[in-house]
Amino acid sequence: MTHPLEQLRDDALREIDSAPDEQALEAARVKYLGKSGSISRWGEQMKTLDKDEKPIVGKLLNEVRNAVTAALESRAASFHSQKESEALARIDVSLPGVPHEIGALHPLTQMWQRSIEIFRRMGFALADGPDIEDEWHCFDALNTPPEHPARNEQDTFYLPDGRLLRTHTSTVQIRTMQAAPPPIRVIAPGAAYRRDELDATHSPQFHQIEGLYVDENVSVADLKGALEFFMRELIGAGTEVQFRPHYFPFTEPSLEIYVKSKALRGGERWIEVAGSGIVHPAVFEAVNKARDDNAYDPEKWTGYAFGLGMDRLAMILFDIPDIRLFAQNDLRFLRQFA
Amino acid sequence: MKFSVNWLREFVELPKNPEEIAELLTRAGVETENIETRGAIFERVIVSQITASSRHPNADRLTVCEADDGSGTKRQIVCGATNYKVGDKVPLALPGAKLPNGTEIRKSKLRGIESEGMLCSPIELGLGEDASGLLILSPDAKVGTPISDLFPSDTILDVEITPNRGDLLSHFGLAREIAALTNQKNVGQAHRLPAGGAPALQKKGVTISAPRECPFFSARRIDNVTVAPSPQWLRAKIENVGIRSINNIVDISNFVMLELGQPTHAFDADELKGAINVRLARDGEKFLTLDGKTYSLKKEMCVVADQECAVGIGGVMGGEETGVTDSTKNILLEAAYFLPASIRRTARELNLPSDASYRFERGVDPEMVLRASARASELIREIAGGTPAKEINIAGKLPANPPDVSLSYEKCDRVIGVTIKSKTVDEVLSGFGLRKMSAARTAKWKIPSYRRDLQRDVDLVEEVVRAYGADKIAGTNRSRFTPASIADHAHDLESTWCQRLAALGLDEVRTSKLLARERFAFSESAIELRNPLSEDHVALRPSILVGLLEVLDRNIRASAERVAIFEIGRTFIPPSGKEERHLGILLWGNVASAPNWRSPQSRSLDLFDLKGALECVVPSLSFRPGKFPGLALPVDVFSGDQMIGFGGQLSAAKSDAPGTVLVAEVHADLLLMRDELATKFCEIEKFPAVTRDIAMIVPEEIPHENILRAIEEPREPLLEGVELFDLFSGGEIGAARKSLAYRLTYRERSRTLTNEEVTVAHAKIRERLRRDLGAELRE
Repeated sequence: MTHPLEQLRDDALREIDSAPDEQALEAARVKYLGKSGSISRWGEQMKTLDKDEKPIVGKLLNEVRNAVTAALESRAASFHSQKESEALARIDVSLPGVPHEIGALHPLTQMWQRSIEIFRRMGFALADGPDIEDEWHCFDALNTPPEHPARNEQDTFYLPDGRLLRTHTSTVQIRTMQAAPPPIRVIAPGAAYRRDELDATHSPQFHQIEGLYVDENVSVADLKGALEFFMRELIGAGTEVQFRPHYFPFTEPSLEIYVKSKALRGGERWIEVAGSGIVHPAVFEAVNKARDDNAYDPEKWTGYAFGLGMDRLAMILFDIPDIRLFAQNDLRFLRQFA
Repeated sequence: MKFSVNWLREFVELPKNPEEIAELLTRAGVETENIETRGAIFERVIVSQITASSRHPNADRLTVCEADDGSGTKRQIVCGATNYKVGDKVPLALPGAKLPNGTEIRKSKLRGIESEGMLCSPIELGLGEDASGLLILSPDAKVGTPISDLFPSDTILDVEITPNRGDLLSHFGLAREIAALTNQKNVGQAHRLPAGGAPALQKKGVTISAPRECPFFSARRIDNVTVAPSPQWLRAKIENVGIRSINNIVDISNFVMLELGQPTHAFDADELKGAINVRLARDGEKFLTLDGKTYSLKKEMCVVADQECAVGIGGVMGGEETGVTDSTKNILLEAAYFLPASIRRTARELNLPSDASYRFERGVDPEMVLRASARASELIREIAGGTPAKEINIAGKLPANPPDVSLSYEKCDRVIGVTIKSKTVDEVLSGFGLRKMSAARTAKWKIPSYRRDLQRDVDLVEEVVRAYGADKIAGTNRSRFTPASIADHAHDLESTWCQRLAALGLDEVRTSKLLARERFAFSESAIELRNPLSEDHVALRPSILVGLLEVLDRNIRASAERVAIFEIGRTFIPPSGKEERHLGILLWGNVASAPNWRSPQSRSLDLFDLKGALECVVPSLSFRPGKFPGLALPVDVFSGDQMIGFGGQLSAAKSDAPGTVLVAEVHADLLLMRDELATKFCEIEKFPAVTRDIAMIVPEEIPHENILRAIEEPREPLLEGVELFDLFSGGEIGAARKSLAYRLTYRERSRTLTNEEVTVAHAKIRERLRRDLGAELRE
C-alpha cells in the first residue's frame, strides 16, 4: 500500500513538472515546502508517531523532501536557461569577428630567424662585423690579393677614403678569428653589397648568413653533415642536397651547395643556395700575422666556412619571383607573411 | 667559355649524350651552364650559286635571282636581301624543305613572279643570330651539296671556368680534364709538332726590355701568305663557339687559341719597322688597337714595339696599323708568355678585356707557347700557302715549372673526413698529370706546367675530392657547445622588439641602406660612395626615416589607408661612418586600417600612439620638447636620463602624405647594451585596493606632468598608483581650460584599508591640487 507521503511526493512532482511558468512553480513550492506546506507539516507530525514507526517515516520524509527540492531547482534552472536562450536567440553568430591589427615581420627577417634558430640548435653562436670594411678584411686576409682574378674591383663599392662596403659576410670570419683563438663556432647574419644593377634577381644590397667552425680535425664530411642537416631542417626532410666542387680563393677544397625539393619554387631543378669549403690555410696565416701569434696553426686546426644567400633562399621558399619586392615594402606584400 | 663537343671528341672519348658530359664536368667543379645544338640537320637545303640578279618588276625591295642548284637547270628565286653579288654561293631551300623555325618551302608566286625556293640567311637556318642578309658561303663550297655537309651538327657546351683553372680555357685543356675524370690515358696529339721536326730557336731578332712583365717572347716569320676568307670547316669551327670569322690568318690564330689555350698574334711583317722589342709603355703613349679605338697607355703597361712605336698592347690586343689585311703578304707570328698580374692590371685599367688577356691573366701553359706557334705556322702553310721560316726568333726564358707539392695521406683523410686508399689518391693525382716523386707517408708530387693553381697540400686534396666525388663523402654530425656572445644578446633583444611592435600592429620593413642623394632628410650629410652605379644608390643612410618615408609614399600611391611601420637596422653616421643600430617608427592614417561593424568610426594615429609604441620597447621612456628641424612638433626621446633619439610630427612640407605623419628614431644599441637585470618575483597583493577618482578643471597650460607631481609629491604612503583616464576641453568648460580625471589607487600591503583612512589621504591630495594648481575640483 502506498504511504500518504509517497502519494504527496507524486502529486508534488506532477505539479512542478507541469508548472507553466515561474509563478506557478513558486506556488507549488509554497504548497509543499512552504512553512505550512503539506510536506513541511509532516515534519511536525513526526513527534506523534510510534517509536517503531518514527525512523521509517523519518527516512521517507527526507527522501520525499529531497526529491521535491531537486525537482523545484531543476525546473527553475530550466525556466532560467530558457529565458537566457530566448534573449540571445536573435544574435547573428555569422557576423565577422572583431579585427585586430597584427603587424607582419619582413620575410627576410623571418628567414633569418628560422635559420638562426636552426643553427643555434646545432651549437652555433652569433657573430657580427661592420658593413663598412677595409680591403684587408674583405680581400687580402681572404687569400684574394690585388691581382687575383677573383678580386673584381668593378663589383665593389668604395668610399672616398679607400674603405669599401663588404662584398660578402666572410669578413666576419676574419674579425671573429682576430678576436678569439680557436675553437670557433659562429654564424654571422648580415648585409653585403655588390655593384650590380637592380633587376629581378640582382640587388646592390643583399643578405647572407656566414658560418665558420674551426676546431681540431674539422673535415669536408663535417661540413656536409652540418649543411645537409640545416637544409633539411629549413626546407623539409625530403630535401636533396648536393655538394659540387667549385672555386673560392678562401676555401680549399671549395664546394657549392645545391638543393632540390618539391617544396621549392623551381620544383625538381637543382638550385644553388650556398658556397662553402674548408678554410684555406692562407686565411689562417693571414689571421696569425694580424694576431701576431700562431693561434690558428694550419697544421693543428682546420675549419669549414659557408655563406648562405638569404634573399635567394627566401625567394625559393616563399615563391617570391622578384628580389626588388624585398626593398619595396609594399604592405600588400608584407602582410602576406603575417 | 663555349666548347664544341665535336672538337672535344678529336682529343678524347666522350659519353654519347651531351647531358652526361655536362653532368660529369659539373660534378667535378666545372659547371656546364647551357647546352645547345648547332648545325644544319634538315634536308633539301643545298649550296647554290647566284648566276644573275635583276629588280623585281612589281616590288622595289625585292630582286629576282637566277640560281644554279647543281642540277643543270637554273631556278628563278625571288629574294629580299641585298648583301650578295652575282657569283656568290648561298644556301638555297628547295620546295619541300622544312626550316628550323617551322617554315615549309613551296613553289609560290611573290608579287606575280614565280619563286622556286628560298635563299636563306643564317638565322633562318638556325646557324646564328644574323638576320641582316643571306648567308654567304665559302667560294670553295660545291654547288648542289647538301648544306648539312658544310654545317655538321654539333653540340655546344657553355662552361663556367673558375678563375683558378686557366688550363681549361681550350678544347685540348678541357679534353685533358675529361680524360682524367674518365680514366682515359691518351689525349689526342693534335698539338704535337708537325712532321719535319722542330724549327730552330735562335736568340736574335727580338729583345725584351720588360722581362718581369714579359718573361718570354717568340716571333716567326711566314712569307708569301695569301690572305683570303677561311675555308668552310675553319669558319664553322670558330663561329660555332662564338668567334667571328675575319680572314684565314686571324681565324687560324683564334683557332689555335681555342684549341690549345695559347693566344698568338700575326703582324703584317711589312708594316713593322725594324726588330721587335717588348718594353714598358711611355706614360701617355697613344695606341690605336685593332678594334679601332685609341688608348692612352700608362708606364707600367707592357707593349710589343718595333723600332719606332708600339705595335701591340702585350697580351691584350694588337695594333690597327700592323694588323693583317687583305693585301698582307708576309707575316710575323707572335707567341709569348706574359705575367698574369700585369695583363690583368692593364686590361682592367684600359677597360679592354680580350680573349687573349682573359687567358694570359689566368696563366697560360709555358710549355704550350712554342707548340702553339708551330701549330699556327703549319696551319698557315696549309691554308694560306705561306712559307714559315726555318727558325723562330726568341728572347727571354719561359717560367720554370711549378714547385713540387708534398701531401700526407693522413692529412688528406683528415681534411676530407673519410679514409681514402693511398692507391686511389695516387691514381687520381696521376690522372691529373701529377708525377709521384717519392713514396712515403708524405709523398712528393711533381706538378705539370699547366697546373700552377696546385701550390699546397690542400690543393691536391681538392683534386682528390673532385675525382673521388663529393657525393661519396658521408656527412657527419659534429657538434660543440658554444656560449652566447654579445651578438646573441643583441639579436634576442632585437627579436623581442620586433615581436612586440608587430603585436601592436606595426609592420616590419627593410629598406635599402643605399640612398639617392636628394633623400638625405634627417641628417645634414651622408657618406657617399666613390663609385656608385646608379643615382638611386649613392650614399649610405645616416637615418632610417628616409627609407620609411619612401615606404609611406609607395603605399599611399598603392591606396593604403594606414601605414604603421618600423625598421631596426644599421645606419652610418658621418663623417667616420660609425655604424649604429637604430629603430625607426613611422605612423600615418587611422588606428584601424579599415572601418569595421563594431567601430565604424576610427580616429587618426597621433603622437601618443607613437609614444605608446615606443613605451613597449624603451624602458622609462619620456618625451621632452625638442628642436629637430623638419618636424612641426619635435620631441627628444629619453630613456631615464639618457637621450636616445628624437621624434614627433613631420612638417607638412617634408611629405606629400595627406594628414599627420609621425616619426621617431632611436639609437637601439644604447638600449641593447644595457645589462639585462633578471626579473624578480614580487608577492601578489593579498589585500584589496581602494580606488577614488578626482575630476578637475585646470588652465590649459598646466601640463599633465605638473598635475601628476602635485598628486604624487609629497608621497602619500597609502597611494599605490595614478592613472589619467579622461581628458577634454572646450564646450561648457570654457576657453583656455581643460578637464582631466584621474583614478587613484590606495593599498596597504599588510591589511585591509578602512574607508576613513583613505578619505583622509585623498582629502590631502585634493587640497594640494586646489591650493598648488588652483584646480577646480568637480564632485
